Amino acid sequence: MEMSPKRGANILIWAVLLTMPYWINWIGGYTSLGSRVMVLALAAMSLNFLLGFTGVLSFGHAAYFGLGVYGMGLTIKYLVPSTVAGTAVGVVAGAAAAAVIGLLIVRLRGIYFAMATIAFGQVFYFIAYRWNTVTGGDDGLSGWHRQPIDLGFAAWDILGSDRAFYYWVLVCFAGATGIMAALLHSPFGRTLLAIRENERRARFLGIPVDRHIWLSWMISCFFVSLAGTLYALLNNFADPHDLRWDQSGDFVIMAVLGGMRAFWGPLIGAAIFVVLQDYVSSQTQNWMSFIGLFFVLVVVFFPRGVLGILHRPSSR
Amino acid sequence: MSLLQVESVSRHFGSLVAVENVSMSVEVGELRAVIGPNGAGKTTFFNLISGFLTPTSGRIVFGGEDITNLLPARRVWRGISRTFQLTEVFPELSVQQNLRIAVEIAAGYRLRPWLSRREDAAVSIRATDLCNKGGLANVETRLVGELSHGDQRATEIMMALALNPRLLLLDEPTAGMGDQETYNITRLIRQLHRDQKLTIVLIEHDMRVVFHLADRIMVLAEGRMLAEGTPREIAANERVQAAYLGQA
Amino acid sequence: MTQLILFNLFNGLIIGAFYALMALGLSLILNLSGVINFAHGGFLAIGAYLAYTLTPYVGFWGALAIAPFLTAVLGLIVERVLIRRLYGRDPLYSLLLTFGLAFILEDGTRYIWGPQTLPFSVPDWLSSPLSSQFFFLTGYRLFMVGLVVAAVAALFLILSRTRLGMRIRAGTLDLETVSTLGVNVRVLRTLNFGLGIYLAGLAGVLAAGMLGLQPTIGSALIMPSFVAIIVGGLGSLPGTLLGGLLIGVTAGVTTVFVPSASEAVIYVMMGLVLLVRPRGLLGEEGRF
Repeated sequence: MEMSPKRGANILIWAVLLTMPYWINWIGGYTSLGSRVMVLALAAMSLNFLLGFTGVLSFGHAAYFGLGVYGMGLTIKYLVPSTVAGTAVGVVAGAAAAAVIGLLIVRLRGIYFAMATIAFGQVFYFIAYRWNTVTGGDDGLSGWHRQPIDLGFAAWDILGSDRAFYYWVLVCFAGATGIMAALLHSPFGRTLLAIRENERRARFLGIPVDRHIWLSWMISCFFVSLAGTLYALLNNFADPHDLRWDQSGDFVIMAVLGGMRAFWGPLIGAAIFVVLQDYVSSQTQNWMSFIGLFFVLVVVFFPRGVLGILHRPSSR
Repeated sequence: MSLLQVESVSRHFGSLVAVENVSMSVEVGELRAVIGPNGAGKTTFFNLISGFLTPTSGRIVFGGEDITNLLPARRVWRGISRTFQLTEVFPELSVQQNLRIAVEIAAGYRLRPWLSRREDAAVSIRATDLCNKGGLANVETRLVGELSHGDQRATEIMMALALNPRLLLLDEPTAGMGDQETYNITRLIRQLHRDQKLTIVLIEHDMRVVFHLADRIMVLAEGRMLAEGTPREIAANERVQAAYLGQA
Repeated sequence: MTQLILFNLFNGLIIGAFYALMALGLSLILNLSGVINFAHGGFLAIGAYLAYTLTPYVGFWGALAIAPFLTAVLGLIVERVLIRRLYGRDPLYSLLLTFGLAFILEDGTRYIWGPQTLPFSVPDWLSSPLSSQFFFLTGYRLFMVGLVVAAVAALFLILSRTRLGMRIRAGTLDLETVSTLGVNVRVLRTLNFGLGIYLAGLAGVLAAGMLGLQPTIGSALIMPSFVAIIVGGLGSLPGTLLGGLLIGVTAGVTTVFVPSASEAVIYVMMGLVLLVRPRGLLGEEGRF
């Protein structure tokens, strides 16, 4: 066997991501747009760990994304001016909330699970929205910005240089997606595929299904809150809308648009979505209608997504 | 020594009585068939043993331990594995992967985030071995959902076997199969029983299969036990004949 | 203090009645067709704005009669053209579709009627307080409670007495059997969807008179409706009704003591219910 098409695709994707800041301006983009694609792609891929590879539909991932956002913002603004500390706080906050809520909803299935995730997601939105004095309420949390990362021998100036920040995002993205890919190719990952394929069979093979779904949910929420911390750094701002249900819907549509059965699907979906949003919102006031129409068109004409059309549902 | 002891279990759904006061004792190495007309409560009875349902009353003892209220996964860990009337497999995964998942769970790897090279090789060998035994070698890399009904059923049985069960429950293993497929599955079941001394309980409609395979037969009708005995005794039993003729 | 609590209790009951009316429509569609209708709030807004537009011509009562009906017609069209193709598919798709529709409806409302809050006038004799001590007891509020009670009663009568209603209930329990009995499931689902949207339109007209008209009126009411369904019990319409009233009252009472927590408290309540009783208060076992 020479080089498999899958291996070739992996090399191509990493080559594109590694070199993007050096050519994105030539094609009419800008470095921050590339960072934005990667941050949202990480969120959508984390969601897809649950959606595409465990078969569990969450429509409330913005909550944990948003906890990452606010964890970062609040830490830098009030606690310690450190990007690393903010990342730790954001991720721990997201994972802790997911752990508790996960225990409450893990026995629900299908649309009921989805509905409970949507509803629970709103709690954090209302907290951020109402707790003016700390979170800035509807105006969002501003008055802070990302901090250079101290490497001991040198500082990584992610504040001063968009390009440096891009590579910080890339490091986090590579670590997170690497871990998720490894998990999906492990015995544990295969139990998740088993649950997606046939829950009854999985249960009667001796998989404690609820527990494995909870674990998958935790992994998914952990990485989506990591994406949240990056999103906060990207904008130097925390917006209550990052916590809201429409943000959750964006993650789901990215996964579906790119192809939720393919590992890299949500990355493709995020790229298309972000570029389109960037363009449409600069052209028209009625971007909401466009996004809505976009959702409808994807569902009706494109349900299997870009990568779903490229290859049949093979054995991954 | 009896491996499985079902002590006067009943299961009601509201006012509907699905199984009423049924007892059964299965010896180690025995092949027991459960037969009865449609709606006799056979599948409900199976569901009670495998933990899909819990009984309204009664007790189930497996290997000397009371398992009446254990969750399905825990019963599997204790050595009960089952197949379903409508085949339950992982349709969008290959035969090899279906078996691999079962083998890994049996090896206690279900929470492992990685395998060593040696462990991985051992899993592959065992999965391939099961593939060959089930007559699936030529479809190993195909998606199970694309296979014939018979091959899907064989995959399911081999997955159940991958768990190294002490008791195998087969719910209508030959349902919906042609003659050749029925023959293959029957031969497979007999092999398991004769060569590996596996204890098996099966529900079956095809009387040729039942009388060919079973050591003992239990007859259910309208949720109650009608008769129990060797194939010869059951064939001669007038009440059983009446139940079957009465239904026809 | 007593008066304050009474005021908020009553307020909570009214809000709860809204939630219930909206959640009942959602529940109907969810139970029969397995579709979470995210656009339900959008339909509510359409109902409200249609009433606003119609009032100058046909008066409040005319608008109350016609607007929900027109909203239901719009719902029927949407069901026929879009939602119908997704039955039987992964619920993910209908969720995404109605999610997109919610955006379109909200933005469309804003486009047609403008982003600013519009006044919606109810007849004078309805809007004046009935007693000076209990200033919050306006005729309109009492009327609203009465109308919700009537609508809910009518809904349950339709479901238990008419042929359509009985088929809907049977279909909710076992769609396959109903279809083998010769019932046209497609038509059944369409009519059921229309019925659910009618309730959303009705809730919209009532909400317009109480909360004022804003394009976001629907999206503010939809989340609590989800909570109402989960708290009340999945698959149970009486449960949905109970859930709606319960969270309305809970939110109302919380307003007295911790105003800023009035929104979050219903989610805490949902968490507690799921902790103690995952299927919800009146939910049937095995339906989730």
